[in-house]
Amino acid sequence: MLKELMKKKDASLPCEENTLSNYFAKDHPDEAKWADCVHCGMCLEACPTYLETGQEQHSPRGRVHLIKSVAEGKLNVNEAFADPVFQCLDCRACTTACPADVDVGGLIEEARGQVRQAMPLRGWKGAAGSFFLKRLFPHPNRMQTVSGLLKLYQQSGLQKVMRRSGAMKVMPDHLAGMEAIMPEMKASVQKTYKNVDLIPAKGAVKARVAMLTGCIMDVMFGDINESTIHVLTYNGNEVTLPKQQTCCGALHVHAGDRDTGRKLAKQNIEAFEDAGKVIVNAAGCGCALKEYPELFKDDPEWRDRAEKFAAKVEDVSKYLCDTGYVKPESRIHKSITYHDACHLAHGQGVRHEPRQMLQDIPGVEYKEMKNADTCCGSAGIYNLTNPEMAGAVLDRKMADVPEDVEMISMGNPGCMLQMAMGVQKYGRRSEIVHTIQLLDWAYQKDEQAAGKKG
Amino acid sequence: MKRKKQNKVDPHIRSLTKIVGESEILYKPEDLISYDCDGFTVHKALPKAVVFPKNTEEVAALVQYCHMNHLPFLARGAGTGLSGGAIPLNEEIIISLVKMKQLLCVDYENRQAVVQPGYVNLKLTNSISDKGYYYAPDPSSQYVCTIGGNVAENAGGAHCLKYGVTTNHILGLEVVLPHGEVIEIGGEGAPDSPGYDLMGLLTGSEGTLGIVTKITVRILKSPQGKKTVLAYFDDVEEGSRAVSDIIAAGIVPAALEMMDKTAIEGVEAGTFPVGHPPDIEAFLLIEVDGIMAGLEEQIEQILEVCESWNVREVKVAKSEEERSRWWANRKTGFGAMGAISPDYLVQDGVIPRSRLPEVLKEIEKISRESGLRIANIFHAGDGNLHPLILFDSRVPGETEKALQAGTACLKACADVGGSITGEHGVGIEKKEEMRFIFTEEEIEAQLDIRDVFNPYDLLNQGKLFPKPSRCMDVKKIVKDTVAVQS
Ligand SMILES: Cc1cc2nc3c(=O)[nH]c(=O)nc-3n(C[C@H](O)[C@H](O)[C@H](O)COP(=O)(O)OP(=O)(O)OC[C@H]3O[C@@H](n4cnc5c(N)ncnc54)[C@H](O)[C@@H]3O)c2cc1C
Ligand code: SF4
Ligand code: SF4
Repeated sequence: MLKELMKKKDASLPCEENTLSNYFAKDHPDEAKWADCVHCGMCLEACPTYLETGQEQHSPRGRVHLIKSVAEGKLNVNEAFADPVFQCLDCRACTTACPADVDVGGLIEEARGQVRQAMPLRGWKGAAGSFFLKRLFPHPNRMQTVSGLLKLYQQSGLQKVMRRSGAMKVMPDHLAGMEAIMPEMKASVQKTYKNVDLIPAKGAVKARVAMLTGCIMDVMFGDINESTIHVLTYNGNEVTLPKQQTCCGALHVHAGDRDTGRKLAKQNIEAFEDAGKVIVNAAGCGCALKEYPELFKDDPEWRDRAEKFAAKVEDVSKYLCDTGYVKPESRIHKSITYHDACHLAHGQGVRHEPRQMLQDIPGVEYKEMKNADTCCGSAGIYNLTNPEMAGAVLDRKMADVPEDVEMISMGNPGCMLQMAMGVQKYGRRSEIVHTIQLLDWAYQKDEQAAGKKG
Repeated sequence: MKRKKQNKVDPHIRSLTKIVGESEILYKPEDLISYDCDGFTVHKALPKAVVFPKNTEEVAALVQYCHMNHLPFLARGAGTGLSGGAIPLNEEIIISLVKMKQLLCVDYENRQAVVQPGYVNLKLTNSISDKGYYYAPDPSSQYVCTIGGNVAENAGGAHCLKYGVTTNHILGLEVVLPHGEVIEIGGEGAPDSPGYDLMGLLTGSEGTLGIVTKITVRILKSPQGKKTVLAYFDDVEEGSRAVSDIIAAGIVPAALEMMDKTAIEGVEAGTFPVGHPPDIEAFLLIEVDGIMAGLEEQIEQILEVCESWNVREVKVAKSEEERSRWWANRKTGFGAMGAISPDYLVQDGVIPRSRLPEVLKEIEKISRESGLRIANIFHAGDGNLHPLILFDSRVPGETEKALQAGTACLKACADVGGSITGEHGVGIEKKEEMRFIFTEEEIEAQLDIRDVFNPYDLLNQGKLFPKPSRCMDVKKIVKDTVAVQS
């Protein structure tokens, strides 16, 4: 039937395409993006879901072809279309591999928007999704409460009881895995610096920067935010933490909820209006902020503001390398490897800078990981929504991590959780750290040494 | 209603599912749409099903089933073919080999490796390079294309000038014949086996004589050193004269590649730009390899030749990193056309090297007359031209114009004593153009050979040869298909 349909539609003039389109909701996939694809297939081997399934509809080329087929009226927005579109990890490895620079990731996000408008999620997945995405992440104070509860859970001994009671055994594997690696909650910097407008630089002031504290980052990894602030101030930067900032919206856009994405984007654009630089330590967030203009294709005023905003966004490692940083003198005797977060390497082209930082720390024995820039399977909340694929991708990743390293360093909280799961699953001993933490620890040692001398 | 329809599964699909298992078959139209073409996008058609066998036994069982039930079928690797060899024009069952992707063994002592057909070309070199070995045939698609597909197309690459194309590196094959019998040919490392050279016949047969399920390939010791030169010319003709003179000087470069202005515009707009001067008419990318001692001298000679043809600027790669950047820029040349044009059609002519300037002029004329831009990328050393005809299939009539321009380019090659394909194969695309180089009798004779292997013509039907004596019909079919394509 589809075949007949293809013939019929094809026989009519190709330029009538748009009237044939089966995208009925607003904000549909941008023709200019899929028109660039020449179907060469050079992206196939870069794609984790293709490597796993061997099936082309789960490859970048296949996904672009499907998205185009809907626009040409050959397919409908239905389950069979939604599946490949949502199985995508949004890892952007295809963007790096594609010689024609096709923005596959952007297309997929737009396609997800169509799917979610045409077929809203129902059932527990819908409920869970809207709980996390609409009611939790965008509300810093609620996030703080959850963080408080989690802290209580860990400190009260309830966690131990749970673990001993065997309750974990009845949890689905991937959730039990997540529980096992939940980091110890640290103080959120938004809370610590609640009454501080400007965190002063150490020594001469070089610049003033604003920092995105992030939603998950700040409640689960408050210590990494603290490290980031320390490293920035240590290098002569005054740091502000704009209070009005909110969740970056990456997870919403990945899930196809572009309206919420836009709402959050507007709030952040306003919150950072006065900032000269917006420094980010979570690759996923940084990439999302840089892509805000994509959300405002049909809104020239906001598009313009989004573009100005995006130009100010910088990953902390890139910012430090570009502006120069103090090389630490104290030694950290550790063997360390580095995992490229997808949204740093493929999304923002930051590969060299974090490696440089690690290798500038005396004592670090740096080991390059094979296929360092392949996805670990974390991909936002992908590991919750598609646990099987995420697990398979993680297995592949862990096989590439050098056996004997003491630490695995990276620049994204989602990856840190996922890699911690990998380490746990394979009984490895490596510690998972954020690159900026290592630099911070080396500086702290330097300060202690100076303190002793002085 | 739709659901109900899908529940009533075709009995053939049920039988095929029994062979490969539930998860290894696709048959819903939405899933099949990704298989409606390969790297050649002018023709599109849906297969009946796609199956993913895991081993030779499953391939043989699938083929037997198709044979017994008269179902047309074809093999598919990565689907990067540029002549439509893997397009299911007759509602074929596609047998995808991508799940058979193991490196079965490497025998360094005898310098050979055994791979499954779905093993990706570049992976072989990557897996043996730490021991100082590599696999020589390096099509630009080597990041993704399969060695099975390379055998079927007798793929070549930039470094085939010195080392030869795929057929020169195949030592043995395991093949499932179109009625399901499994045969092994070669493989014992003997330089020549008595009897007909079946391996030579099968290599390059474009998947019309059998499905390759195991391949023994030759691996080579990596050269001790490499030197790479980039030379910019203000005049294409002078660049091509330099090519001839380099070869005439007795140098056998490992690679000798050329790109013209439009091609340069493409790669500079693509993902791997290297900053070529925008106003340059052509560049040559020349690589020599071998024992370190002789390399400097060869480079000197090459620089001299380039100077004699008024080169504007020459650079020798200063680091491995710079060299790989140049190569990434060159090797992604086809795909990069996407950055400057919605569609492209790549042609694959071969000409005697000395005729390069005149053929280039002819191509320029074709471009002018058709009103379509044509970019040129060549393996200049062996006279293998790739004119890339840029078009927009959304503009009515442009696809046909591009196809005509493509045919005209091939005619120009055939007219100077060349050929219509160097490495991409004939597939659907160049069937008719086979008449430029073969007579009716010669085509008949080759079809007779095919009939010995593939008597019911179930395997990859309608590829490689035009239907003899019914050429008018075929032309009409081609035209009709074009008319209904996007
Ligand atoms: C960007 C780009 C650059 C390219 N550069 C080059 C180049 O430099 N040199 C070159 O030679 N080619 C080049 N090609 C063409 C293409 O990559 C080669 O022809 C390659 O060998 C095809 O391999 P594949 O695995 O993609 O095969 P497919 O495209 O899947 O199949 C090609 C043909 O082989 C048959 N086939 C596949 N597997 C088997 C098997 N196991 N047994 C029997 N038949 C089989 C198919 O039926 C089909 O007819 C390029 C293509 C692209 C898109
Ligand atoms: S973003 Fe990642 S998973 Fe998605 S198509 Fe690209 S490579 Fe595949
Ligand atoms: S997305 Fe890029 S690499 Fe993939 S098929 Fe399209 S043009 Fe080629």
